[in-house]
Amino acid sequence: MRNIDEKSMVMQFISLNKDSIYRLAYSYVRNKDDALDVVQDAIYKAMKTKASLKDPSAVKSWFYRIVVHTSLDFLRKRKKVQPMEDEKLQTFMDGAEDVYSDIDIEKTLEELPEKYRSVIVLRFFEDLKIEEVADVLNENVNTIKTRLYQALHVLKGEMKDYISKEER
Amino acid sequence: MDDQLEKLKQQYKQIPIPDELDFIVNQALKKSYRRKMRSRWISAASAAVLLFLIGINVSTSVANAFSAIPGVGPLIKVLTIREYIVNDDSHNANIKVPGITNLKDKALELGLNEKYLEEAKALYDQFQEESSKAALGVDAGYTVMTDTDDIFAIARYVVETTGSSSENMKYDTIDKKNQILLTLPLLFKDDQYIEVISNNIKEQMKERVKADPDKTYWIENEEGDSSIEVFQSIRANQNFYINADNQLVISFDKYEVAPGYMGVQEFVIPAKVLSDILISHNYVN
Repeated sequence: MRNIDEKSMVMQFISLNKDSIYRLAYSYVRNKDDALDVVQDAIYKAMKTKASLKDPSAVKSWFYRIVVHTSLDFLRKRKKVQPMEDEKLQTFMDGAEDVYSDIDIEKTLEELPEKYRSVIVLRFFEDLKIEEVADVLNENVNTIKTRLYQALHVLKGEMKDYISKEER
Repeated sequence: MDDQLEKLKQQYKQIPIPDELDFIVNQALKKSYRRKMRSRWISAASAAVLLFLIGINVSTSVANAFSAIPGVGPLIKVLTIREYIVNDDSHNANIKVPGITNLKDKALELGLNEKYLEEAKALYDQFQEESSKAALGVDAGYTVMTDTDDIFAIARYVVETTGSSSENMKYDTIDKKNQILLTLPLLFKDDQYIEVISNNIKEQMKERVKADPDKTYWIENEEGDSSIEVFQSIRANQNFYINADNQLVISFDKYEVAPGYMGVQEFVIPAKVLSDILISHNYVN
């Protein structure tokens, strides 16, 4: 019986949250078709592995984790290899490159290294608790806190840059 | 800063939701659900079905292609005995039903052929039911995988296309000399084979990923992250066939052990891995 409850619960969660699920996938793969594919793959995966959902109250972080993993698989396949974070950060610090007149999520978020982007999206856009974010990304809470702090820092640097450019 | 974040969040929330999302989510949920039900389908097969009965397909090319291999074993022929075809703007079905002839064991022949018909009918019924709601494509047919003196193996494939596609394979491997339909448990002394084969497959998966980083399997990765259910073991009656080199080939459907883009996955299990646990080395060597 427990099995059936789990299944309908997972199905219900997916149906009710499909928009969020899609956006989360989109925030990784950045195009409609791939995002739809990720959603579909993630559902298959979830329905097949729902036994691994040990704590039914954690269905949200459990399913988001599957979406994140599936998205990363897709990116890996697409060979969009992220440069080393240090290099990437360096580029941010120099910050002298492109100037965008608007704070554009496509640009700002896309240029964040994936590990920072994940925490921002999950914590601030999907409103997950720090603990849930940690659960989704399979890291401990302190790591997530640090990463969140760093992410905001990077983002702030970015934004200040934009703002000061705009003010001139 | 909070303002900026809020702005970003607004933009995030405005990522447009495509119209197809509903359909794809429902379809995926339904299919995942149906996957479990598949074995129970057969009873529902007799509904009124529009048949495009081509009769025995006497297309000589097909018949010849599959029966031309001379050998000690009896000449088994496979013909397309029925074809279900639907073609309109948004619905496509092309379901070819194989029929095996010339088996000495007529009961086995009949059993297999009935099974193929039922599979096709069930597929067609499902297509009819779902096509009233949405665009859909189904392509099903068969391939002779192996035809040697000893072994005859036939695969049936089903490719369903909605937003993206799913792919299913089924196999029958027949011992020609003894006219037996082989099953995986039949080949081995005891159920140790499940573990032996599974372990070998896990190794092969790792090697494949190492050789080509574009490949992904649902196996534990280097970080030891096994939070997602990973491939643990084959099923006792996992899809398999025996190829022309007398090797055991284990097959997984799309999505079964890897993300969808990897498609159907096959693993040839080296004979030396199996030699201790095989009952006889007649089939696999």
